[in-house]
Amino acid sequence: MSHDSTSPPDLWSHILRGAVTDLRALANGRGAHLPASAMEDLQRIFSLAATLDQQLAAASDHHDLMNTISGIRGYAEMLQEDIGSQQPDLGDSLARLLKATENAATGTVNHSVASRAPTVAAEPGFILAVDDLAENRELVARYLSRSGHLVVTAASGAEALRALAESDVDVVLLDLMMPDMDGREVLRRIKANPDWRATPVIVISGSQDMDGIIACIEAGADDYLFKPFNPVLLQARIKAGIERKRWHDREEQYRQQLERNEKFIRATFGRYLSDEIVTDILERPEGLELGGDLREVTIMMSDIRGFTSLSEHLAPAEVVAMLNRYLGTMTDIIMAHNGTIDEFIGDAILAVFGAPQRRDDDADRAVRCALAMQAAMDSINADNKAAGLPALATGIALNTGSVIAGNIGSERRSKYGFVGHPMNVTSRIEDHCLGGEILISESTVSKLAGHYRLSNRRELDARGLDQTVVVHRLEEHADG
Amino acid sequence: MAEQRPILLVEDNAINCEMLARRLTRAGFRVVTAADGEQALQVMAREGPALVLMDMNLPVLDGWSACRAARQDPTLRDIPIIALTAHAMEADRQSALAAGCDDYATKPIDFPGLLAKIQRLLPA
Repeated sequence: MSHDSTSPPDLWSHILRGAVTDLRALANGRGAHLPASAMEDLQRIFSLAATLDQQLAAASDHHDLMNTISGIRGYAEMLQEDIGSQQPDLGDSLARLLKATENAATGTVNHSVASRAPTVAAEPGFILAVDDLAENRELVARYLSRSGHLVVTAASGAEALRALAESDVDVVLLDLMMPDMDGREVLRRIKANPDWRATPVIVISGSQDMDGIIACIEAGADDYLFKPFNPVLLQARIKAGIERKRWHDREEQYRQQLERNEKFIRATFGRYLSDEIVTDILERPEGLELGGDLREVTIMMSDIRGFTSLSEHLAPAEVVAMLNRYLGTMTDIIMAHNGTIDEFIGDAILAVFGAPQRRDDDADRAVRCALAMQAAMDSINADNKAAGLPALATGIALNTGSVIAGNIGSERRSKYGFVGHPMNVTSRIEDHCLGGEILISESTVSKLAGHYRLSNRRELDARGLDQTVVVHRLEEHADG
Repeated sequence: MAEQRPILLVEDNAINCEMLARRLTRAGFRVVTAADGEQALQVMAREGPALVLMDMNLPVLDGWSACRAARQDPTLRDIPIIALTAHAMEADRQSALAAGCDDYATKPIDFPGLLAKIQRLLPA
């Protein structure tokens, strides 16, 4: 008999490629957390896998093929010893890789035996064969492992349920006639378990048991075979079952990915945006590609008066505690008014109303927000006083204008931000704010629907601005 | 205490040679290597290894010839040799044993199995 490595690459090579792909993903994902020696060994496995692919494509000599596989196996075993137990998912991929090298060793040698029987090429799967008769289990196991599947057998319903709980089974091949727990009961329990429900079940019964088969299909069985079954038919049904399971798994993965994305977006944006806005973004995924657009927004800048000189007399920990109390309270107020916090610069806050979501009452909310922020200063200062810290006074500037809003930055680091002349104008207005004061520009006033008490209209001749800016001092809300 | 006698690993495939040498070192052996049958005979004479692991498909002088040569050399004939080959067939095993090998291991190498074979053959 010849060692025919020129025969088409066996199914083990699919398992091997799959395992290598997974290892690559894991290595890329956590390269920094793996010891350098482990990364080196992974690289060796990857380069050996590439060599193997070339050798399979070129139908290389059996000796060369086995050398490569031997190398893969050796490095995989060392990695398994070194880090397999600390990194369970890496360990799993390594175990599959090792299983594939084992199958390769027997698979390539036995190929001429296997090729005598017609086989249905299928993606290799993990098959659970349940039958109370040992000879039936062996027969099925032999047929299916010949086509590259991993087969585990169970001699009773109870054993089958244990196997399902322990491993990720792709297809269950279930004999209906068994003592104790019969196939119909096993099927019922599989379909009642949310983790197993999607696993395709192929029931096997005698040819006279059409009623039993029909009852099982009604109970959720995916397919059936009559005994004695044709091995090619068995393989074809297994193939279909594996494909069904793979579709389901991919769908499930996709669903989980979406869920993770949503969590990520909520965690990332949730610090700066109100829940309401995050939900809007999630419902409109195209909004995530915030490429940049010109939009009218009301800009808020606030600053604690004299904070820098104040902080020079305090211990660093006191400064941080005081700032966090202040910024925490302000953040809550801004979010409650559906404002977007663009950034904190030390004690200064830059927030925007009207992006990423425009609303008709953007200017009004900004004004109400500013009033609420000033009103909250009393309670902040009471806390400061109790902690032996000085009182704070903040100035708030509001201005409305068209800015460019979008994800600004580089591939590695970008954030949703704003650029444009109105930003600078707001900053200049802020420079003129006294402690406890809110100054709002004429442009914001013109957008207000509510009525507010304004006073002290004046023109600012701010440096760096071509035109003078008209601002008002905002007193308290006059609408009641 | 005299220095531990090394294990000689004869393997022309560099990456396999490196891999096996590392695993043997991790298992506590001192390892010397050779890349072909002729080198293997030279290293055997020079280092007096406790045991030889010999790939059979070697350049210059193949493993079978190197084995036969070692068995005819009175200074080398008692050094145990384990053949490493890619073929698992009985005929291959017979041909390695006929060339004078003491045991036989197939690739991909089952390392714990190989260690057991080494332990069995190492001089007490």
